[in-house]
Amino acid sequence: MIALWYGILAFMLTTYIVLDGRNFGAGVLHWIVARNQAERRQVIAAIGPLWSWHEVWLVGTGGVMVMAFPRLMAASFSGCYLALFLILWCVLLRGISIEVGGHLGDRLWQEFWDAVFVFSNVLLAVLFGAALGNVARGVPLTADGTFYLPFFTNFGIHGNVGLLDWYTVPMALFCVLILTAHGATYLTMKTEGAVHERSLKLVRRLWLAVIPAFLFITLLTWAVRPELFQGILFRPFAWTTLVICVASGYAIATGIRNQREHLTLLGSTFLLFGLLMTGAAALFPVVLFSTTEPARRLTAADCAAPEASLVIGAAWWFPALILAFGYLYIIQRHYSGKVNVSKDNQGLY
Amino acid sequence: MEFQFGTNWAGFSKYAGAIIGQTLAMEGMFAFFLESAFIGALIWGEKRLGPRNHFLAAVGVATGSWLSGFFILVTNAFMQHPTGYTVASNGTLALFDLRAYLLNPWVFAQFAHNQCAALVTGSFAIAAMGAFYTLRGIHPEQSRLYLNAGTLVGLLASVLVAFPTGDAQAKMVGNHQPATLAAMEGRFEGGRLAEVTMIGQPNVSEQRLENPIPLPGLLSFLAYGTFKSYVKGLNEFPKDTWPDNIELLYYSFHIMITLGMIFIGIMAWANWRRWRGRLESSTGLLWILMLAFPFPYIATSLGWMTTELGRQPWLVYGLFRTNKGYSQVVAAGDTIFTLIGFVGLYFVLGLLFLYLTAREIHHGPDAPASAPDRQEAPA
Repeated sequence: MIALWYGILAFMLTTYIVLDGRNFGAGVLHWIVARNQAERRQVIAAIGPLWSWHEVWLVGTGGVMVMAFPRLMAASFSGCYLALFLILWCVLLRGISIEVGGHLGDRLWQEFWDAVFVFSNVLLAVLFGAALGNVARGVPLTADGTFYLPFFTNFGIHGNVGLLDWYTVPMALFCVLILTAHGATYLTMKTEGAVHERSLKLVRRLWLAVIPAFLFITLLTWAVRPELFQGILFRPFAWTTLVICVASGYAIATGIRNQREHLTLLGSTFLLFGLLMTGAAALFPVVLFSTTEPARRLTAADCAAPEASLVIGAAWWFPALILAFGYLYIIQRHYSGKVNVSKDNQGLY
Repeated sequence: MEFQFGTNWAGFSKYAGAIIGQTLAMEGMFAFFLESAFIGALIWGEKRLGPRNHFLAAVGVATGSWLSGFFILVTNAFMQHPTGYTVASNGTLALFDLRAYLLNPWVFAQFAHNQCAALVTGSFAIAAMGAFYTLRGIHPEQSRLYLNAGTLVGLLASVLVAFPTGDAQAKMVGNHQPATLAAMEGRFEGGRLAEVTMIGQPNVSEQRLENPIPLPGLLSFLAYGTFKSYVKGLNEFPKDTWPDNIELLYYSFHIMITLGMIFIGIMAWANWRRWRGRLESSTGLLWILMLAFPFPYIATSLGWMTTELGRQPWLVYGLFRTNKGYSQVVAAGDTIFTLIGFVGLYFVLGLLFLYLTAREIHHGPDAPASAPDRQEAPA
């Protein structure tokens, strides 16, 4: 049951990053691929209808984490207090910028909210990347299983570490890169005209840049936490996710070469999904590594709620998931294909 | 808020997460997915969906918000009156009976009371719009619709929020949180023929009410059904189980009740005039309706203050104290920093809301000010 809920939690967080990641990427590229107001409205309209559905995956992850792993929620969320509030504020500002930007036809008004949109998305990509780095590297756990993480200490990876160090900063930058590539892939599929041309050019370059960056970050991870790779070696689940990664990489390459935009997006979606799930499989059963003393690490079993709660939760979680995808299906039916600004712009609200 | 349980209330999450997490996760999975999927369609999809599906999207959003309200109130009801739990071997709470947890008797009174209060707020806002347009002499057709719907639903909801929902809620408090009831009424000595105080100022250090105007027996009747019922006073409870801020609790409760009575009065008067066909010519009443719309917001906030201050010093009533629930690794400076940040952010958001709403109201119901075809031509 504990492994099941660990899997559900990893699945929800991964899905969130895969789905909202393309919005982060589109936000990073907003000023690069869209050069005038009409083009910028096109980018916003491409992510407008579904961003809040994507964001619910994060909220749902929070809810599931309290329910299944209360102690993990308590330790990690209070330990990363300020970083989490930065994420929250960026999420809020990003949402406001999408919803409010289109309300006035005024040029200054839209430029201001576009700037908020770009700023919050870039910061979100960086923060989630840094968070990922922190999960892999570990946190300065004290004897009672809690910690408090400052933004930075001495940029080292042992002992009293901070949020940012020589491992997590490259990790954050790598995340920005791969999410930007993901976002560009999404934009090529959803847009037309000049935005489409620019995104298409970027997709090729960005995915090429991802390859050396990925090798570099893998080497760094090897140096920081070699035991993760042992986890992959001995866990058949990780082999399947690795196969997904390889197949997705191939799909991206084929999609770009043959100009099949759907295939590229499918590839980039499942590449991110596969990478993150591989990471989750490699971590298991540890949920928080310790940089102070290895033995202080917290495992999923240490943090899990009593068995009865987990069983009851599993009974309603799966039907709820089916419903959630049902809503997505209804919405997607109306939104397949390219966006059309005259049709897809914001209505009255 | 989902995050806040972890960031600011780590002790509470660790203690009760296995239970309250159920409804928090259900809220995300059942309510938020529904709401968020269709709110996108509601905002962005007017032209793609067509009027019928666009309306259905609005229904989806409304259903999602009501569901979300239910789940969050189940969580709150558990904190007020814990049901369906057991204590696990490590001292934390575990879920024992999902049905008892979800069908907590407390939640029905609370949910009905809360949703009626939301209806009061909505109908006062609609009536205020109608009054505003009528007083300016514009949009006569729509303003008649707003006034009719606003005052009719407003009267119904204002009555329902007091009786039976508010009454049921008060009886719950009387039966399960007697110390809270005593503090809400500023009642230090117990006794029969307990009074409701219309006006009076609690003096906690000397344990009495200053300048009271009491209605004897009413509290006994409202809380326990007969005028002679015994209602306990605060002195009958150990001092460390008294709510921490009796003055604020007392005023929150009393101002909420007073406002609720005023709402019924305004709406009854408006419906009387409407029935006589004179509502649109009653200038004084229209002014009152136009200016009254902020007060339901205030009353609802005061209701929540009564609920939360009244539960103190407990986070989970009778089981877990508030001073055990906060995040001990987070310094006071950090929480003040983030509080200031939130105040700033919400202040800006409030200004934005007022500006954009005022703009739409000023523009009137004919065509939206932000309709796409009114936007600037591409540069």
